[in-house]
Amino acid sequence: MSENGLYPGLNLGEAHDDAHLQAESTVFGFWVFLMSDLIIFGILFASYASYLDPIGLAGGPGPQDLFDVKSVAIQTAFLLFGGVAYGGVSLSVKYEQGRAKLILWLLICAVLGAGFLFFEIKDFISQAGEGGTPQVSGWLSSYWLLVGLHGFHVFSGILWIIAMIGQISTRGVDDVVKVRLSMLGVFWHFLDLIWVGIFSFVFLATLT
Amino acid sequence: MSGETSPIVGNLDWNVTPYTDLLKHVDSSTIVGAGAASVLVLGAIAGLVLFTYMRWWGPLYRNWLTSPDAKKIGIMYIALALVMLARGIIEGFVMRAHQAMALGTLAQKESGLVAPDHFAQLFSTHGTIMIFFVAMPLLIGLINFVLPQQLGARDMAFPVLNQVSLGLTAAGAGLIMISLLVGQFGTGGWTMYPPYTGKIFSPGEGVDYWLWAILISGMGSTLTGMNFAVTIFKERAPGMHLMRMPLFCWTSLCVAIMLIYAMPALTVSSVMLALDRYADFHFFTNAAGGNMMNYANIFWMFGHPEVYILILPAFGVFSEISSTYSGKRLYGYTSLVIASMSIAVISFTVWLHHFFTMGQSAGVNIAFGIATMIIGIPTGVKIYDWMATLWRGRVRITAPIVYLTGFFLLFVIGGLSGIILANPSIDYQVHNSTFLVAHFHNVIIPGVLYGMLAGIHYWFPKAFGFRLSETWGRRTALLFVGGFIFTFMPLYVLGLMGMPRRSPTFQNPDFMPWMYIAAFGGVLMLCALASLCWTFWTSYRNRRALAVPGGDPWNGSTLEWSTPAPVPEWTFPCIPRVKAREDWGETKRRGDPWRSPETYTDIEMPANTAHGLLIAGASFTLGFAMVWHIWWLAILGVLAIPGLVVLRGMRVIEPNIIPAAQVEEEDRRFRQQVASLPPATRADEETERNRGVPDLSEFAG
Amino acid sequence: MTKPNTGELNPQESAASEIKSYATGFIVSLLLTVGAFAALLSDLPSTWKIVLICVAALLQIIVHMRNFLHLSFSGGQSREDLLLVLFSVCLLAIMAGGTWYIMSDLGGRMHQASGSDAAMPEAPTR
Repeated sequence: MSENGLYPGLNLGEAHDDAHLQAESTVFGFWVFLMSDLIIFGILFASYASYLDPIGLAGGPGPQDLFDVKSVAIQTAFLLFGGVAYGGVSLSVKYEQGRAKLILWLLICAVLGAGFLFFEIKDFISQAGEGGTPQVSGWLSSYWLLVGLHGFHVFSGILWIIAMIGQISTRGVDDVVKVRLSMLGVFWHFLDLIWVGIFSFVFLATLT
Repeated sequence: MSGETSPIVGNLDWNVTPYTDLLKHVDSSTIVGAGAASVLVLGAIAGLVLFTYMRWWGPLYRNWLTSPDAKKIGIMYIALALVMLARGIIEGFVMRAHQAMALGTLAQKESGLVAPDHFAQLFSTHGTIMIFFVAMPLLIGLINFVLPQQLGARDMAFPVLNQVSLGLTAAGAGLIMISLLVGQFGTGGWTMYPPYTGKIFSPGEGVDYWLWAILISGMGSTLTGMNFAVTIFKERAPGMHLMRMPLFCWTSLCVAIMLIYAMPALTVSSVMLALDRYADFHFFTNAAGGNMMNYANIFWMFGHPEVYILILPAFGVFSEISSTYSGKRLYGYTSLVIASMSIAVISFTVWLHHFFTMGQSAGVNIAFGIATMIIGIPTGVKIYDWMATLWRGRVRITAPIVYLTGFFLLFVIGGLSGIILANPSIDYQVHNSTFLVAHFHNVIIPGVLYGMLAGIHYWFPKAFGFRLSETWGRRTALLFVGGFIFTFMPLYVLGLMGMPRRSPTFQNPDFMPWMYIAAFGGVLMLCALASLCWTFWTSYRNRRALAVPGGDPWNGSTLEWSTPAPVPEWTFPCIPRVKAREDWGETKRRGDPWRSPETYTDIEMPANTAHGLLIAGASFTLGFAMVWHIWWLAILGVLAIPGLVVLRGMRVIEPNIIPAAQVEEEDRRFRQQVASLPPATRADEETERNRGVPDLSEFAG
Repeated sequence: MTKPNTGELNPQESAASEIKSYATGFIVSLLLTVGAFAALLSDLPSTWKIVLICVAALLQIIVHMRNFLHLSFSGGQSREDLLLVLFSVCLLAIMAGGTWYIMSDLGGRMHQASGSDAAMPEAPTR
């Protein structure tokens, strides 16, 4: 298909030839899957917007009562650093910098993701304590589903990272593992993209 | 249902089967319910006994259930769909029989064969089954079987994922089937609109059966779409440019695109409804800030592309058969490609026409009404293209051509009634009436059902090595055409007379003549179903006479006809180099198409695995446990699925290597056989002289 | 920095340029994020705040796709992926935009019936 059958950016370079051919269709397939996921998030964003009015709040607590900008900023920082840290994973696979370095970078990503989740769950608990449970209003239902689904994705990403660390230690960095690390990278950066949408539209734009 | 939820068996108890209903109260409705459950139980027992007696379990497991071969997966999809089709048609017949007896009076309002609640379950399961478990598996199965062969690929891009998709679809179908025996199905129609399907109005397990069947099989369909898209973009044989692909591949691409982008909407609406029901969320509770109209909005965002997911593969089939059976090149290839892609994209812009009457302002309705009328244009282009393909061709009136003719006549009527309904002000008059029921059956039956049956008839020899009986095929086709006309044309009239859809009873005696005609149509549909079964059976018995080992019984022009019938596991002994559109036809024109390849190499095929089967089992368990609130089992199911995926990820899986010598031996045997078989002319196509080697001098395509 | 890797480059040089690409992306994202939060806390009128936040979000999404996901029009696989993303965004715009169009229209009509002081709900005028 493409002249230089290389996977861009997350690519593995010419030295990893077989992995490359496989990567081309597998990672492309994963992109397609993520696009399907993108539609899910898109519909949830649109629904969130449609519930964001006095009727949707149904007399329950609103954004001003529940959202904590400082915590959102901390979560954003965790995810942004986590995204950049995956660059370390990609580069150490590509330039074969050794298994230890690779696992170290993966662990850094997982820890940053876990930090994000910690603050997000803390927010959810304090919002529930202030009467902001999803059972209160249509708006809160849509907020919890949208942000919760993103959090669930981050959680799955962390599990995936752990599974990859397991695979690297048992079967080594073979072609299949390389391809899976590329897909994990696309997934991990994709979560950052969704979060940019969430902190901009769900939190910041709602609070103005 | 009792009030308490047991920690062990959830809401299950002995009162959930139709037999307990029958014991409590004997009338025609409970007899029908218990009868249906008995058919399921007896059918399952008969299947178990047959498989055990014939010792088929081992071969079934080794050759089919664990096979990642797209061709076999396709056949299994179609088998699943045909079983579900039988249930769907029988349910349709019961509904027609019921309404033919449902004339109530003011004094005694209810009458008919089944109770109103039972009737509601019938139309809900009928719709759900026909859309999600007949039409979808039929087309996905056909694409699975045909697409890699037409593209010159050995398999799908992700064979094991393909197996998982089939497993998920089968798990959903299993949930629907078991609802016959354990508990009840929902009564909200195939769309399950809240608030009626919310917890307050539908507290039981019925809606949950629907939700989990849809969520599980919907996941399978999304993954399938992804698989098709990657296969088309990455696995084409060298030289097979996009504009050289057969039209069926193009429509498969459209289907893939729509599956990828439309199925998420269904997932979202179902998840929201599930959260409302299980966790007291308020997406669709108007009183608590929800908006039930948003369900209709999101559901139809999926639902309209779904309509075209169903119809486009049939368009692909009709493109192939109109060209092959008239011995001509397909007329207007490029226009058909453009029309298919336009339909795929425009289908995402029309969903509001399913709820014109929900209260939005006229401006919104008009915008979507216009978009709806626009989508009729590419469809019209296609009809003209196929007619032009047949024009002055040497048309053989085979069973697929009978289906095609029926499609021409009926689909255009259905399309026109659709254009009528696209006008919001007319829609206000006839919405929710049987006019609408007649309209969508009028596009879906001639479109999907005829198209898929024609496709099965056309490609059957490729799968099993023998043709289907043309005589019985034509009889089946004519019965389906006649059955459709008698069943659904009266519904147009009834709708205009004011008969609401989904009504278990009515008080207007003027409806009765039309009801009788429709019931007669239902009988014809049952006959068509019987005739379809008989076609398979009688062809199987005469398989020696109908065998076509040469592999090209219809003098076709696309790649899949270059291989033996039945097609070997590896499909192509070596991957073809494509030089033209309709490459096999070009090869025939150059003469001696069956020249053997110069060298043979080892072929890598994916190894058999039980992965799909295990995932199917886990997801069925998850769905069933969630329906009955058996939380511990549901948690096990949820943990099992990622657990299985991770376990598989840890292992290094070696592919199955087929040695070059074996490929060479079988391929040479095939080429010798072709050389020894007498070529069959067009006139002999339906006789025993057709051994799958066509008379090349007749090829004009 | 986003050109496809041809494998002919000196590995060290190539690694350095890629690290630079990640670093640039990181700094720009950080600035845009801080900018969006600063816009919220500023004294600007709320329309301006929303515009600034949206623009920052859009730019940041582009930066992520360019520097972290390495999508570009430069050809090969990255071009295919980018086209896929753009096609998805088009369809998403239809679906999300359509939802917003339909639901806000329905919502507007519901508000008028319950929220207006007039005894007779007015017909929407557009």
